Amino acid sequence: MLEIEQIRKTFHPGTPNEVRALQDVDLRIEPGSFVIVIGMNGSGKSTLLNAVAGSFFVDKGRLKLKGQEVTLWPEHRRSKFIGRVFQNPFTGTAPSMTIAENLTLAAKRGCPRGLGWALSSSTKSELRERVYAMGLGLEDRLDNAIGSLSGGQRQSLTLLMAGLLKPDLLLLDEHTAALDPKSADQVIRLTEEMIRRDKLTTLMVTHSMHQAAYLGDRLIMMVRGRIACDIQGSEKQRLKPEDLLARFEDLRREELLDETAAAMLQRQYV
Amino acid sequence: MTLLISSITMGLILSLLALGVLISFRILAFRDLTVDGSIALGGAVAATLLSAGWNPWIATLAACLAGAVAGATTGVLATRFSINGLLAGILVMTALHSVNLRVMGKSNLPLMKETTVVTLAQSFASADSRWSFSRWEMPVQDACVAVFVVILISVVAIGMLAFFRTNLGLAMRATGDNDAMIRALGVEVGWMKTFGLALSNALVALSGALLVQYQGFADVQMGIGMVVWGFASVIIGESLIGSKFIGYLLAGAVMGSILFRLLVAIALRWGLNPNDLKLVTAAFVFSALVMPSLMITVKKRFAI
Repeated sequence: MLEIEQIRKTFHPGTPNEVRALQDVDLRIEPGSFVIVIGMNGSGKSTLLNAVAGSFFVDKGRLKLKGQEVTLWPEHRRSKFIGRVFQNPFTGTAPSMTIAENLTLAAKRGCPRGLGWALSSSTKSELRERVYAMGLGLEDRLDNAIGSLSGGQRQSLTLLMAGLLKPDLLLLDEHTAALDPKSADQVIRLTEEMIRRDKLTTLMVTHSMHQAAYLGDRLIMMVRGRIACDIQGSEKQRLKPEDLLARFEDLRREELLDETAAAMLQRQYV
Repeated sequence: MTLLISSITMGLILSLLALGVLISFRILAFRDLTVDGSIALGGAVAATLLSAGWNPWIATLAACLAGAVAGATTGVLATRFSINGLLAGILVMTALHSVNLRVMGKSNLPLMKETTVVTLAQSFASADSRWSFSRWEMPVQDACVAVFVVILISVVAIGMLAFFRTNLGLAMRATGDNDAMIRALGVEVGWMKTFGLALSNALVALSGALLVQYQGFADVQMGIGMVVWGFASVIIGESLIGSKFIGYLLAGAVMGSILFRLLVAIALRWGLNPNDLKLVTAAFVFSALVMPSLMITVKKRFAI
């Protein structure tokens, strides 16, 4: 479904703020797989998602979606294949528009938008059913502005919007990180249900070791813009949060060793 | 009575400007200063074509198209060349000043005997027939013009209301509300902004074309400060209506424009020096912009 070949991205190249966010990342994702991405701050996990979504073009390498080369496609064009939920619950919805209008916008994801009536009564009753199925009690508030809802409700709706047209690839960028624990649980439950029901190919970034261990069928850990480990199959099924924490600890020590070793060598030879 | 009717007619004509500004300022969240240039452009194009003997409807339509091109130019400068939106508007506005002089060939163009949409509307009544209400009386022709303008504004406003309920219109509203979201849903934000600015400036130019035909002359200076008038109308409309829903916003802008024009007429009647008008308008818009947040601070102070 998604093929990433040797992509590289450097922000602010040639300045003191240079960040090598992605360094020759290779990744193939099969249709229907649910891939979790973890990593420390600045490890490039969100950058990876943004590169796939097309928020920027990569410096090197190729991206393929559904067999089509999309490396030079701008973001809005890639949206034909991609449904997306952002970390910030405010990014995914238009606050001054109503719930129904937001959903209608999502129902046209990647399609040309003409002068057809946006909200016919049949679309509206269809949308009402979809909202009812989420069990948030929002089906009677379809004509309320989305800005009046809580972050959790907005994020649940963004999720519904991203999945409304069954995207070929679903990108979730720490979509529960900004929510309170109860809303986060609810959004995760909805996420799981939707992915299982529609068999969506998913790439999900998370900070939660719990989510990383118990969700998905494959796990990728990123360190300094590279994929440090890739856990699949039965190994992923057995994975526990403690194992992940242990791996993180190992990585941290390795990095620490790098630095102290460098400092020692510097003292001796420079 | 004549003064009242003429203020209302003027307010209605300028409400097209307010509707245009509503699209750029509120719906696209784009502070578009092209308006000062495009209202004069609409006037210049209409007046020039009328004095060349064109059909007034076609001349008015041509003015709209010219405005759309001006708006699209600002859009292209702002989105394709990533120039700050305010600056893009200023550039086009400045350039339009020369364009308008070129179009008219001089700085002032009177319409004397030409058939205009206003004279067409007036022709529904004879020149000397009058309506009288107790001690007030007014020419029926003035009423005809007012009715014509009301019909035109209604058509435009209903058209806009319908447009903003289509898929395209919804996408345009989302562009101003949350561009990251709508980009992720497959809309090319730059194109959408350009299209919106074209639409906005077409309305502004239409307003200019009607204004010229109503006043009976086009002047290259007629656009100065018009964008602030537009802001004033939109802001007054919002405080009158107090709702963010699109239908109310449209109605508010029209009402705001009429009310603002009446306020100006009253102020002038009470002896406001016309030279001070722009200063007073600017001060008024300033206070309208600052008041809401100031009121909240004041309320908080007193609540504690």
